Amino acid sequence: MPMKGRFPIRRTLQYLSQGDVIFKSSVKVMTVNYNSAGELSEGARKFVFFNIPQIQYKNPWVQIMLFRNMTPSPFLRFYLDNGEQVLVDVEDKSNKEITEHIKKILGKSKETLEKEEREREKLSHPATFGPKKYHLRECMCEVEGQVPCPAFVPLPKEMRGKYKAAMKNEA
Amino acid sequence: MSVPRGAVHAKWIVGKVIGTKMQKTAKVRVTRLVLDPYLLKFFNKRKTYFAHDPLQQCVVGDIVLLKALPERRSKHVKHELAEIVFKVGNVIDPITGRPCAGTRFLENLSDSENLTEADTTYLSEKLQELKVCSTDK
Repeated sequence: MPMKGRFPIRRTLQYLSQGDVIFKSSVKVMTVNYNSAGELSEGARKFVFFNIPQIQYKNPWVQIMLFRNMTPSPFLRFYLDNGEQVLVDVEDKSNKEITEHIKKILGKSKETLEKEEREREKLSHPATFGPKKYHLRECMCEVEGQVPCPAFVPLPKEMRGKYKAAMKNEA
Repeated sequence: MSVPRGAVHAKWIVGKVIGTKMQKTAKVRVTRLVLDPYLLKFFNKRKTYFAHDPLQQCVVGDIVLLKALPERRSKHVKHELAEIVFKVGNVIDPITGRPCAGTRFLENLSDSENLTEADTTYLSEKLQELKVCSTDK
């Protein structure tokens, strides 16, 4: 039972998370003007078809607007937080070239991404126990080699409080 | 509580003007792409914002850039008009700077030099007809 649509791979989480353009925090709006016909707009059309979902998935807070057949030449326009506008002419460029270009001019660099990754790792301590949202494990019984959970495997007599109390009373 | 700008989350937005019936205020529709969790496809989700437009220069159908105001102007108006990106009927291609419509440039069309002889005779005939009608009355 194959997936529906022309290139349904675009609708998989694995494909979406493979997008490598992560915009700097100053980019607020991205506008793409392209045409439905014409050789010059071909790269822009492929960009919109294949790469825009990846970009929006990685940058959920950037507003992306698509305009079709408004101007003869295809272009991208970014509106930054300080009022600056960046105009990118994409006439006669392939979609890969376009992504490379915007990654270079407005994407977070590899060092910034690695730094953020390390910051995030610092926040969570792997040795603590608690709810799955904040910690790795909830109970010691989940670790291999430790005493298994009494819900699945009954504890040996010597560890049960009932037996220990009986022994104490006897003695 | 130090919010230097924007009592609202969206600082800069681009939208289309859908109403100008209010005085000095434009109703703007903003679309964002939202992922459907089951289909994993992006769909446009609309939201309307009200923007302060002191010169009332917006017409229905313009594409505008809105900027968040530092504090709310009224109950619903939290943005102001920063610039009109594309004016309806008068789109200027930002790369070449020429007026255009759809996939054609508009500058060349109004040259009377491009009219052929057949065109000029046809037009002058039409003008003659109009003159006759007006004298009849």
